[in-house]
Amino acid sequence: MRGASRMFGPSRVNKSLWQRLRGLSWSMVLVNVLIACIGFAILYSVAGGSLDPWASTQMKRFGILFVAMIVIAVVDIRVWMALSYPAWFACLIMLLAVEIAGAVGMGGQRWLDIGPMRVQPSELMKIAVVMALARYFHGRDFYQSRRLTSLIIPAMLILIPASLVVIQPDLGTSITIVGGGVAILFLAGLPAWIFWSAGIAVAAAVPVGWQFLHDYQKNRVLTFLNPESDPLGAGYQITQSKIALGSGGLTGKGFLEGTQSQLNFLPEMKTDFIYTVLAEEFGLVGGIILLGLYMVVLTYGLLTGIGSRSQYGRLLAVGLSCTLYFYVLINVGMVMGLLPVVGVPLPMVSYGGSAMMTWLIAYGLILSAALHRHVNLAPKGSGLA
Amino acid sequence: MNAAAFAMDPTRSGYVPSKRRGDEQPVRSQLDMARGRLFAVMILFLLGFMVMIGRTVELGMRENARPRSFAGQIEVPPVKVGRADIRDRNGEIMATNLRTSSLFADATQIRDASAASHDLVKILPQLSLADVESKLASGKKFVWLHRKLTPRQKWQVNALGNPAFRFEEEEERVYPHGRLASHIMGYVDVDGRGLGGVEHFFEDRLSDPDRHKDALKLSIDMRVQYALADELETARRVHSAIGAAGLVFDVTTGEVVALVSLPDYDPNDIRGVSADQLFNRVTQGVYELGSTFKTFTFASALDQGIVSLDDGYDATKPLVVGRFRIRDDHPKSRYLTVPEIFAFSSNIGTAQMALDVGTDGQRDFLEKLGMLRPSTVELTEVGAPMYPAPQQWKKISTMTISYGHGIAVSPLQLAVGTAAIVNGGRLIPATLVADSDGYQNATRVISEKTSHTMNMLLRMVVKKGTAGRADAVGYRVGGKTGTAEKPANGRYNRKALISSFMGVFPMDDPRYVVFALLDEPKGTKETYGFASGGWTAAPVVRNVVLRTAPLLGVAPEGEDEGLYQQVAMKINDKKGH
Repeated sequence: MRGASRMFGPSRVNKSLWQRLRGLSWSMVLVNVLIACIGFAILYSVAGGSLDPWASTQMKRFGILFVAMIVIAVVDIRVWMALSYPAWFACLIMLLAVEIAGAVGMGGQRWLDIGPMRVQPSELMKIAVVMALARYFHGRDFYQSRRLTSLIIPAMLILIPASLVVIQPDLGTSITIVGGGVAILFLAGLPAWIFWSAGIAVAAAVPVGWQFLHDYQKNRVLTFLNPESDPLGAGYQITQSKIALGSGGLTGKGFLEGTQSQLNFLPEMKTDFIYTVLAEEFGLVGGIILLGLYMVVLTYGLLTGIGSRSQYGRLLAVGLSCTLYFYVLINVGMVMGLLPVVGVPLPMVSYGGSAMMTWLIAYGLILSAALHRHVNLAPKGSGLA
Repeated sequence: MNAAAFAMDPTRSGYVPSKRRGDEQPVRSQLDMARGRLFAVMILFLLGFMVMIGRTVELGMRENARPRSFAGQIEVPPVKVGRADIRDRNGEIMATNLRTSSLFADATQIRDASAASHDLVKILPQLSLADVESKLASGKKFVWLHRKLTPRQKWQVNALGNPAFRFEEEEERVYPHGRLASHIMGYVDVDGRGLGGVEHFFEDRLSDPDRHKDALKLSIDMRVQYALADELETARRVHSAIGAAGLVFDVTTGEVVALVSLPDYDPNDIRGVSADQLFNRVTQGVYELGSTFKTFTFASALDQGIVSLDDGYDATKPLVVGRFRIRDDHPKSRYLTVPEIFAFSSNIGTAQMALDVGTDGQRDFLEKLGMLRPSTVELTEVGAPMYPAPQQWKKISTMTISYGHGIAVSPLQLAVGTAAIVNGGRLIPATLVADSDGYQNATRVISEKTSHTMNMLLRMVVKKGTAGRADAVGYRVGGKTGTAEKPANGRYNRKALISSFMGVFPMDDPRYVVFALLDEPKGTKETYGFASGGWTAAPVVRNVVLRTAPLLGVAPEGEDEGLYQQVAMKINDKKGH
């Protein structure tokens, strides 16, 4: 093994930067740009036909993060593998810092101000959890993975950050963290009965967990179950959202013509409920096109996982695809009244930098995994760290 | 080697997996499983997208996805918009609405409940700090903090700049005349629902959104109401009475023109109002009203031809029936003619007359006059009369009821009955609503001739009898005094009186009944210590008539002396009370 690990010199599989840029899946990059452009268009519409204040800001963010995605994509996947555990610990420290800042200052804070940037550690943690888990299972073979003792460290990797996020409180993000983690556990080959029994346990825990929810969280669930019970209160968003969705019809009312959104019936329409504006102005055709674009990029992520030679690359690509998928699923499901309102934005489209950052960093990693899908990685490490 | 099974290209990676226990079989199963699981994820993935797309299509294709009205489903307290005004018969506003703002908070947006409640209590010091703080810390989306702020208070709350404090536009019920018509109006609760008086009785009508621009017009005349309230209040103060009641009643239409019960309350602010203040002595209170009831005994006896004005009864000494003694307050101790019995208010004579009418005749007549059932006036505060059950309505009951003891009715019932006696014999139910057509359903109770005779007797009581102090010069007032002892602990208390006067004017063509009642009046130097109806209540009626007759369209005239001459001749007395 000692000899083998020396054989994984970084230079050995590296192509030149130019080769790697050429090998990048530019079609997928384009689809990502298209999704972002749909977001710009809606933000332009929500501002009443103006780039200010939202669309322009969002474009600047996208510009920076887009470059970041390309850089991440062309960096050797072994670098990311080496950084997997450190990234997890760094995010954990930031999460703790948020908790402490939250306890000291005003309640409910979720971000840290690092220089000019405002970082939401829970967002980065979504990625870091997947990286750390992929790294963990990469070092275990099939039999080791199937052992129950192999569950201990992954459980900690998932549950420590998830519980920190839950008490922020940010239920939506912690669900995404757990969801991405569970997806990796599933792919890593843990026995199926674990998932069955976990599902049963969760179902059984629902009544108990209910009591620990904040009142506003309970409200959201109750409202979700029966939004018409309180159409002007907690059910207002959902009811208005469904009305706006329905009023779009097949092809929509036209760009800048959505009455529900233009007349401010919809709350949070530039953030969490932006899908509604899209569906109202561009109809269900517009909605299906956006969902189709998401499906294309995420399916590419899954296919990357299937085609990846290394366990790390496979788990990273599939795990991140699942994380991003949960993002879309929770937001769209929420807006359409299929899921409770948990305050998850529609990544790339909703106004705001955090979700866009998560998406583009994660997609950068997926692209990197795709670019390096033929690279074999040693089970004990990348050779870089 | 296992390397082949991993489908790896050794030339590219050079990595050779370490040897495992099994051979190719478990490796294959690992690959199968990994693929199977990826496949499962893929399926779930696509399934999720299908659901999202399907739901988009479902909602987008929904035909009638229009904003709907959610009336009736809202859980926040409903806010009253538009309750109909209440006006008097001349259009004077008795109740209307003012726009005000009520303060509530979205407690989910409160960051520092303690600081926010301190700020708020500084502006609204009537609020309790602990109460506000617990509301703000409740985390509820909607908590009322204070209803109906003044514009200045609203400005100050807005100046706090706390987005959790919000205002709900509301309407506040306002009674511009304050306590003047309190028992007629009733009052509303903080949400504008009527809780008393016509506000309660006409709740559905007043809160009907289709009719909120359409004022409810009452039969009340606020000018008359004021005169009556003013005179009653003065008399109550002068005679230190615990309460007073008064009524002006149109005998031709059944309309209540004025209705006063004292003590009263301000319907604009009913906090701390006692049950005694809320009690309506005119419609809710039932009293043994005493001699005013003799009017009915005489009317029934005259109408049935049992007595005539030429008859008389022996009143030389108290009447003894079993253990009861019936005495006269103004004993003449001689034989009295029928007009004399009425004028001097002789219990002895009236009781004998009632015995001639008979128990059944008396009960039937009182039944016909509406004395035995609650008034149908448009108020919820209506008292049920009290009288003996049929099997207990014995001879002694007949005798006491003839002069107004042993039966308790509300002043309104008495006024309605009296109106029927004087208006030509038609019983017209009382109403508080202007232009009601209840008088078309009048029922005849006595003949016009008897009514005419009764008018002569009533006028004579003022001219020659116990009610001289009711004579408003020029307005031909007639009437009957009543002085009843209040029952207490099973016996009558001679010191606690219900003193009343049932007045009618103008007697040659009766238009209005004016009733005044004082509850436990005390005699004064001016009344030589007397507290009877003739001394205390009759002057109230005189003053009310003097003040309101011009308003009511009754002109002062010289009197047709012939009206009472016929009965006055039969009265052999220089002076009587």
